[in-house]
Amino acid sequence: MVTITNLVKRYGNLVALDHLNLEIKEGEIYGLLGPNGSGKTTAINCMLALLKYDKGSIQIMGQEMHPDSYAVKKNIGVVMQNVAVFEQMSVWENVDYFCGLYVNDRKKRRELVEEAIRFVELEDYRKMRSGKLSGGLLRRLNIACGIVHKPKLIIMDEPTVAVDPQSRNKILEGILELNRQGSTIIYTSHYMEEVEQICSRIAIMDHGRVLASGTKEELKSMIKTGETVTIEAIALDEKQLSEIRDLPHVFQISYNEQVLKICLSGAKHNLVRILHYLEENEIPFGRVFSELPTLNDVFLEITGKELRD
Amino acid sequence: MTVFRGFMILVKRNLFMFFLYFAIFMSICIMIQVVTKGEGTSQFKEERRSIAVLDRDGGELAEGFIKYLGEKHHIVDIEDDKSVIQEKLFYRDIYYVVTIPEGFETVCLENGRKLKTTKIPGATSAFYIDQQIDTFLNEIRVLKHAGFSTAEALEEVKRIEEVDAEVTMIDQNGYGGQMTPYGYLFQYLPYLFLSVLCYILGFVMIAYRKQDVRRRMLCSSISLRKQNAQLVAGFVSVGSGFWVICMLMSIALYGKSFLADGNFFYYLLNSFVMILVALALSFLVGVLVEKEAVVNSVVNVISLGMCFTCGVFVSMSVLGKGVRMAAHFLPVYWYETVNEIIGNNAQFTAAQKAAVWQGVGIQLLFAATILSIGLVVSKYKEQE
Repeated sequence: MVTITNLVKRYGNLVALDHLNLEIKEGEIYGLLGPNGSGKTTAINCMLALLKYDKGSIQIMGQEMHPDSYAVKKNIGVVMQNVAVFEQMSVWENVDYFCGLYVNDRKKRRELVEEAIRFVELEDYRKMRSGKLSGGLLRRLNIACGIVHKPKLIIMDEPTVAVDPQSRNKILEGILELNRQGSTIIYTSHYMEEVEQICSRIAIMDHGRVLASGTKEELKSMIKTGETVTIEAIALDEKQLSEIRDLPHVFQISYNEQVLKICLSGAKHNLVRILHYLEENEIPFGRVFSELPTLNDVFLEITGKELRD
Repeated sequence: MTVFRGFMILVKRNLFMFFLYFAIFMSICIMIQVVTKGEGTSQFKEERRSIAVLDRDGGELAEGFIKYLGEKHHIVDIEDDKSVIQEKLFYRDIYYVVTIPEGFETVCLENGRKLKTTKIPGATSAFYIDQQIDTFLNEIRVLKHAGFSTAEALEEVKRIEEVDAEVTMIDQNGYGGQMTPYGYLFQYLPYLFLSVLCYILGFVMIAYRKQDVRRRMLCSSISLRKQNAQLVAGFVSVGSGFWVICMLMSIALYGKSFLADGNFFYYLLNSFVMILVALALSFLVGVLVEKEAVVNSVVNVISLGMCFTCGVFVSMSVLGKGVRMAAHFLPVYWYETVNEIIGNNAQFTAAQKAAVWQGVGIQLLFAATILSIGLVVSKYKEQE
């Protein structure tokens, strides 16, 4: 569906996209994950031919993407990071307006508009001016305007920024539904939980490059961390810390304010082994957590920094 | 025509401003029409003022002088007291006080001394009365020199004054040489054009120029050229529609006299060119202003500023030389210049005709220049 090859985009001396390569297949929900400034929005703007790039190529639906590739654009829906609607128009007028940029037939357009409004559950707000809608409802209207013409490819650039949890869940459910209906979705976010929840494949980006890509399981299997054990309210001396560090499969520990964090490679009975050591040495402790690696761990291990740094 | 349709929806949402300004404008026009109704500018009539005469002479000449003034003004009896005179002048019970000194004939006629007068500072009527007094004294002086006795001289002056001069105003347009009533309406039109168009279209432009809306539209399957063409069509439709409404309003108010005016075509042409200027300005406002909240203030500064300095509200003849000079660099000045010529003359001289076409041409140049600036700024902002 989308093939990006060696894409380079520079702003003066700053390299925003550094030989970016992406391959997005039909029917996928493809997540672009990365911190702010990693190049996600620049990549999307290049895909939409909103930005000129210095090098490389972008092919969408088998055709090279240019500003005048209107046949391709007809099959693309865009949900911008910021709400892009007319405040003085009603919900219905806004959806109808953006649908009209793709569909000429009035009857067909009316059906599509009704369907989109129903899809984002804004039926009760049809006649309300969009400027009077709450933040969550506005985001839903923003999505309706982007998907109303039933595009084959939907590009969503952080559609859940500044949205309350309830609206966020509705939006994420909606994206899954759109995918079930046959749309390929490119989804950018710096919320790893969202990307983990809905994306079938993920590319982790930083400094304009794809650091790793694959399914979430594939990404997690790329890193050393298989499990992270956290033990609260524990008092340890240097000798004990050293002994824990020498336990099997432990490759990293951190001890701060009586909280011990142990990173272990994937193996069975890691937690049992640690608890057994504490019991043997009669070390008292508080709560114990064991967590599987997250995409943040993947990002941390690859880049040495947190996603939200 | 989605973009055009959207444009019109946004115009509709801001129509209340049109109705507001239109209602204010109509009220002012009707008010002016009612106030000026019956005030024939084709007739000449002498004005009479309330004046006082303090006679300290009591002679034959003084008596004749008082009679002479009494023919022209209302003589009010007052006490010969400074504070009383000041009070009467302050409350405008009288506008002028003339004191006839003792030995009036010797002092004023032979020695040529001026009469002592007290008047309201700056009052034009006072200058008028000064002239009448000078005329009387000069006539008496000449007659006396010619051998007339005081009584004969007074009799002769009375006879001369009784001769009525027939005053006829030079009528160049059927309105006694004054501007036509609809000429006044057209004088105020730039304010209506600038306020309504800059306000409404400024708002619409800001809505269309919001970065994210623009980006979403650029991602669509309609080319940028088509989108811009539809926006231009929106501008032209709103401008033309508004102009047609204003012209129909003028016809409704002044009916046949306006339609039959030989300069009807020039009124239409001049106002249409002004609409183009207002459209170009509204485009520039929409490009320069980023926030809706600022539009109102910007529009007020542009419309009121231009209208006050270019003779829309205050006649250009009243404005200072510097202001008039500066107004040359504003399009409304040229509109008003043309309007003044076509409003005051039924037939044009070659020079007037040239001035009309020059005014129209300069307005067109202003419209083109403002539009070009708007396009350059717009391009620059998009690249940013």
